[in-house]
Amino acid sequence: MSLEDLIDAFVNLDEEKVLRIVEILLREGKDPTEILEACRRATALIGERFERGEYFLSELVFASEIFNGVMRIVLPELKREVKPTGKIVLGTVQGDIHDIGKNIFKAFAEAAGFRIIDLGVDVPPERFVEAVRTHSPDILGMSGLLTISYESMKKTVEALREAGLRDKVKIIIGGGRVDEYVKRYTGADEWADNAMLGVKKCREMLGLGG
Amino acid sequence: MVGELKSPEELLKERFERVEKAIGLGEPDRVPLIIFTCGDVLRKYATGYELYFNYDRAREASVKFVTEYPVDVFLAALAAEGFIFALAFSNYPDIAPSIRFWTGPMHDALGDKYTKWPGRELPEDSVLQFIGGQFMDVKEYNKLSDDPVAFVNEVIFPRACVNLEKAGSSKANAALIRLGFEASRYLRFLGESAADLAKVGIPSLPLTFAYAPLDFIGDFLRYPTGALIDVRRYPDEVKRACEALVEPIIKVALSLKPAGAKYAFIPLHLNEYLSPKLYNEFYWPTLRKIIVELYEQGIRSLVFFEGWHDPHLETILELPRGWGIAYFEKTDVRKAKKILGGHTCIMGGVPPSLLLEATPDKIEEYVKSLLGEMKPDGGFILSPGVADIPRAVPHENLKALIEAVEKYGRY
Repeated sequence: MSLEDLIDAFVNLDEEKVLRIVEILLREGKDPTEILEACRRATALIGERFERGEYFLSELVFASEIFNGVMRIVLPELKREVKPTGKIVLGTVQGDIHDIGKNIFKAFAEAAGFRIIDLGVDVPPERFVEAVRTHSPDILGMSGLLTISYESMKKTVEALREAGLRDKVKIIIGGGRVDEYVKRYTGADEWADNAMLGVKKCREMLGLGG
Repeated sequence: MVGELKSPEELLKERFERVEKAIGLGEPDRVPLIIFTCGDVLRKYATGYELYFNYDRAREASVKFVTEYPVDVFLAALAAEGFIFALAFSNYPDIAPSIRFWTGPMHDALGDKYTKWPGRELPEDSVLQFIGGQFMDVKEYNKLSDDPVAFVNEVIFPRACVNLEKAGSSKANAALIRLGFEASRYLRFLGESAADLAKVGIPSLPLTFAYAPLDFIGDFLRYPTGALIDVRRYPDEVKRACEALVEPIIKVALSLKPAGAKYAFIPLHLNEYLSPKLYNEFYWPTLRKIIVELYEQGIRSLVFFEGWHDPHLETILELPRGWGIAYFEKTDVRKAKKILGGHTCIMGGVPPSLLLEATPDKIEEYVKSLLGEMKPDGGFILSPGVADIPRAVPHENLKALIEAVEKYGRY
């Protein structure tokens, strides 16, 4: 069993096989960070399949389930801190309590090496401001499903501006109903209406390429 | 405006005929404009809390909206998705339709964990939100399939509703009686609200309701992501459960037929999540069965294809011509027309974000260009494509939308 087998099983969403290979690799003394790196490569390939229209949201949901399963096994074995690709403060905005999209994004962003500080749902602007101040993230990710979330996203961007933090962080909004118009309305830097696109844009914002 | 010279009765008739003609794939006098809301835009006139808990304030808000923005049909769904209750009472057609949606006070009565409300779990100025949850274990698929109605009543309700935790207890019985009181108040509100709108010349669609079986499992029993994962891990169990749900769902939809219902509203959720392979195996066969059966019984469907439905557009052609209305959210209606024109009435076309951020000139230009393609040969209803309009949409933008339809929508 090799890391290539792991990637192959992951990309083909063979859950049982993925978990079995991870356990074997760990038992054989494989460095857990290499397993995580293989997962990163696998999720990037899944993202490519999604972009090509071969995979759909249900495949992303299942892939994030598999990734979370891998993390449950690998995390306790991790001896040293892995240097993250970047840091993202993430939350569903005030008034909205939907988090399916946010959680899929979170799994894929983590798989891509980002460190995520998840503030949960119904997050008021002042909590986002406080988290940006405390954690100094590279990116602030605001999620929302309902049309009411647009107002809260805009308010949060304004609150960051008032706190003098707007220029210190890149802002991406995410959700099935955000687009270029909503981006302009809210004053965010980027938008994504699916998790894969979200991760891609986060990498681009940090100059890492797609 | 031409409309202002006509009496409300004339306008009512004219608007209803306009919509019916489009649904029947014909060319009416102009492209109809339908606006749906779940409350967001009505927060211009009342708080979220008032809209869902105070029927008088809700009625006033709707009348204010249509007086300011006269549209051909205005649908305000100021209540949450409660189809599981309708299904639970599907053997009692006198009860099922009245509890198809949950109002704020019904949420108070049941203590359900599916929904969260302004002034309760959410800030007063929010909108109601359906969250759902996981109330069924994967091992219980067979029980669900064996007898969906009994399973929902006996197993799910005690888990999903705080006040129904102990069936037969004083508390649970009181909750059901309260639900009954509230249902009759809600039915009265619906009647009065339709009369309010009719007084200002706005018709209401005679609606009934159905559901896609896999969405029922995702929304009420296993949570959407749970249902999607089950499809992979337990395909046979999921398929069997979907099939078992068809009959009670049809019963619910037909329960309003004697009252004159002509259209079954079916909001889809998991459609955009599924690949064509999974859609055609787990989602579409049972949904198709429901739509076709209702059509044969004289009820057309109004299906809200949530999100991006592009990969599944061709399957709609499997339905009988004139089966109903395909209401699209993110699918480009122009693309839909190329495939479905002459077969299916198409509804949608205006992204709510455009109304939020574009200028009135841009909106006029957008509608002009869209109707240039969508108007010919009829069968099209213009509508913001997300079943709501943000409150922050500027007044002049909504006006621009209505005026543009009047200007460029005439046949």
